[in-house]
Amino acid sequence: MTQVLTAKSLGIRITFCLAALAVVMCLCALMGSQKVSLRKVFTGPGSSPGENIDYEILVGIRLPRVILAALVGAALACSGVVLQAILRNPLADPYILGISSGAGLGAIAAVLSGATWSFWGGSPIAAFAFVGAIITVWLVWLIGRATGKSQITNLLLAGVVINAFLSAVIMFLTSIARSDQVHSTIFWLMGNITEKGPSALGVSAGCILAGTVGLFGVSHRLNILSLGEQEAKSLGVDTAKTQIVAFALAAFITAIAVSLSGLVGFVGLVVPHGVRLVCGPDHRQLLPISAIIGGAFLVAADTLARIIVAPAQLPVGVITAIAGGPFFLVLLARHSRKISWLK
Amino acid sequence: MSSIIEVKNVSFGYFPQGSILQEVSFDVKVGTFLSIAGPNGAGKTTLLNLLCGLLRPQAGSIMIEAARIQSYSPRRLAQKIAVVRQEFVPVFDFTVAEVVSMARTPYLGTFGFDGKIDREAVSQALEATDTAQFAMRPMKNLSGGERQRVFIARALAQNTAIMLLDEPTSFLDLRHQVHIYDLLKAAQLEKGKTIVAITHDINLAAQYCDEILLLTGRRPAKQRPGNGTENPASYFIGKAKDIFSPAQIQDVFGVRVFTGKVGNENFFIPLGRFAKDSGQANSS
Amino acid sequence: MNKLWWLLLTIVCLAGAGFLILRIFPDQRPNAAAPATVVNRIVSLAPNLTEILFALGLGEKVVAVSSDSDYPPEAANKNKVGTFWQPNTEAIIASKPDLVITECFEQQKSVAVTLHRLGYRVLPLKIESIEAMLTAIKDIGDATGTQNRAGQLDEDITNRLDNLQSKLAARNKIKVLWVVQTEPLRVAGRNTFLNEFIELAGGQNAIGPTIQQYPPLSTEELLACGAQAIIQSAMGVDNIPEQQQAAEKFWGKWPTLSAVKNKRIYVIDPDTTLRLGPRLCQGLDLVAHCLHPDMDGHE
Repeated sequence: MTQVLTAKSLGIRITFCLAALAVVMCLCALMGSQKVSLRKVFTGPGSSPGENIDYEILVGIRLPRVILAALVGAALACSGVVLQAILRNPLADPYILGISSGAGLGAIAAVLSGATWSFWGGSPIAAFAFVGAIITVWLVWLIGRATGKSQITNLLLAGVVINAFLSAVIMFLTSIARSDQVHSTIFWLMGNITEKGPSALGVSAGCILAGTVGLFGVSHRLNILSLGEQEAKSLGVDTAKTQIVAFALAAFITAIAVSLSGLVGFVGLVVPHGVRLVCGPDHRQLLPISAIIGGAFLVAADTLARIIVAPAQLPVGVITAIAGGPFFLVLLARHSRKISWLK
Repeated sequence: MSSIIEVKNVSFGYFPQGSILQEVSFDVKVGTFLSIAGPNGAGKTTLLNLLCGLLRPQAGSIMIEAARIQSYSPRRLAQKIAVVRQEFVPVFDFTVAEVVSMARTPYLGTFGFDGKIDREAVSQALEATDTAQFAMRPMKNLSGGERQRVFIARALAQNTAIMLLDEPTSFLDLRHQVHIYDLLKAAQLEKGKTIVAITHDINLAAQYCDEILLLTGRRPAKQRPGNGTENPASYFIGKAKDIFSPAQIQDVFGVRVFTGKVGNENFFIPLGRFAKDSGQANSS
Repeated sequence: MNKLWWLLLTIVCLAGAGFLILRIFPDQRPNAAAPATVVNRIVSLAPNLTEILFALGLGEKVVAVSSDSDYPPEAANKNKVGTFWQPNTEAIIASKPDLVITECFEQQKSVAVTLHRLGYRVLPLKIESIEAMLTAIKDIGDATGTQNRAGQLDEDITNRLDNLQSKLAARNKIKVLWVVQTEPLRVAGRNTFLNEFIELAGGQNAIGPTIQQYPPLSTEELLACGAQAIIQSAMGVDNIPEQQQAAEKFWGKWPTLSAVKNKRIYVIDPDTTLRLGPRLCQGLDLVAHCLHPDMDGHE
């Protein structure tokens, strides 16, 4: 796509992608380890549980799961795009600045503390993981800023250091934990899409949608930012504010995604690259389309994870790694000239 | 003629080297072409960054169109000043048209979708710099000269009263050097823009510019240029023929030059130890 | 001005989305666990829970189990609904259960929550000690209307435990090292079930309290601990004799150890032998006989 973008063409493309996403979501909701007949679903829920299991499975189990996968995939892909733009590094992914180890630490702290939660309420692991992620990102930002005014290298280094340190703490905690606690934590860390309640789903959907829309508003300035900080300033863009806003929003939606589903890898790294290859680097287009494609990708991956070894299931992170890894290598090989990270 | 840029007693220094610019004062009149020259480290780029608002003077003030530079929001300032820097390659694969359209950012809304005026400004700029032919090519596939023209196109599309350039021709061949300077001169004469360009090529500077600001990189207080004798001044400003003389050049750059004349204008050829001297000067 | 609009937009989005979805799928209010109605179809998500169900005579009512429920043999033939660590909610629903019994760790708890939200009857049980197991048996009895048999089972188990204790009361405690992993060498610490079993079987953990549940042991500590018997966790039940031989060879490296000198090395699979279920006493008995071979009496 080499035309300069217009509002109309962008609108058309986004609509088209949304339609594709809806189709993927519907198809995947119909697939699973149990056969579900659509006709029975439409007769509505039975008066007591167990009467219309097709309805229960489709609407109670599969639909929330598919919606969650779409949300998490969208959040991770969107966040990946933003971080790659801010850090001016095509190898950045949403976890690069400490979110992964922060969330992991929160999760293992929740498991170890044995926090009792209202049995029918939300899970403490999600809350702890979210808080852990946010605090860590904030810490990394502070360190990065303190060692020189928003210099990208310092931010990256701070992220690497914090990641390493927290990973060591996680290792220590794992070594003193009970085996079932260890197992729980490891499973959580691998990245899983599970069935969440409507309230949790609703709140997260609102947050992720709001964050994505906010980032869309910043996407034009991300274009300018990618020219370099001095250039951006000379074009009238408030680089500091743009970086803070974009970074905060990206970290926020990633923290929410991680608290819902653990650390699902590769989506935030590979999807932006793939979409950039097809649609070009204009972030006004790249961001929304990456979000949509990321959602579709994760929905498909999760469906595969559910089906491939039924009735057991694989963690969705396994599928994304197996699919994403080779894809990334192919990307790299074929377009190594295009993906240059000269500064 | 009014001054569009007024620099009053500006001082600036980097920590810990100490001050680079000390109490510099000069004016740039509307629609003139000023060249900033001087040895490396004299503070040329620093001065440019001060003029475009990237750096804050540690003493003194800078006025743009009779208002303090600090009083402008970044957006308003970008509507007044366009900057062309030396080299950059965008990390992402933007095309020429996209990069030039980014120049319209100071006039656009949040989403940066351009209107008719913006598109016209962009196409005019592409025409003027003769870059319309590869408008759809990614920036990475351009040669150095083509890239430089695109940067100039971007600055032109930004449609500002002032253009600041940092060595716009440092990596270019003769033909492109002349082309760029012709472009700038045309912009000055036909569109009334004020051009301030840092340049290493004193001959080109002398040919095209109305005034030269020569930064010597020395510390002592300012003085107006005298005649011939050693002046421990930190900068000089004036017409090319007043500023550039063999003695001055020797003093500031530490290089012997051969002076020739083309019509009324002087030109200078540097003479190093192994230079082929013809006419003046004895080899050491 | 732009910034304000964005803030407003985000808040509206958040509120709107949450509100909308809440309206469409109202959270079902959970009612207290209903008293025992007729329960005909039971799903169990853990092997020990399956064993308890069968021991209470509910074997026929069990319609689906977790994939590692292997005892009694009839259980192995039931439908499988996923693994212990990852139960398959869809398969559980497809079995149309009246009652689903689960464990309480994160993965199973979230399945329980989902099922409850859909209106199914769920009984999550936390079985992490013998005491908890006895309570769990009672709870299952209550939920399935088999309180009498549950009470009897509890009594039975308690009696056998007491019996075992009285037999061992007068004897010296044997110093035991329970090895869970050989490379690197890791043993069960004081804070584990295995420790509880050791003590119930008339032994004493050879190592003192440690911060880790399963601390790695250096050779120095190994030689200093003075273990009179070594129990090694088996890896799977398939080839115990070969594992026993391999273990003896492995420990032969330290002939100075009392346990090695007296050939008191035993390979036991704690998952099946010492499952927190009705067969626990048999398992404990086995371990006790390993530690005190001259114990008289048999069950």
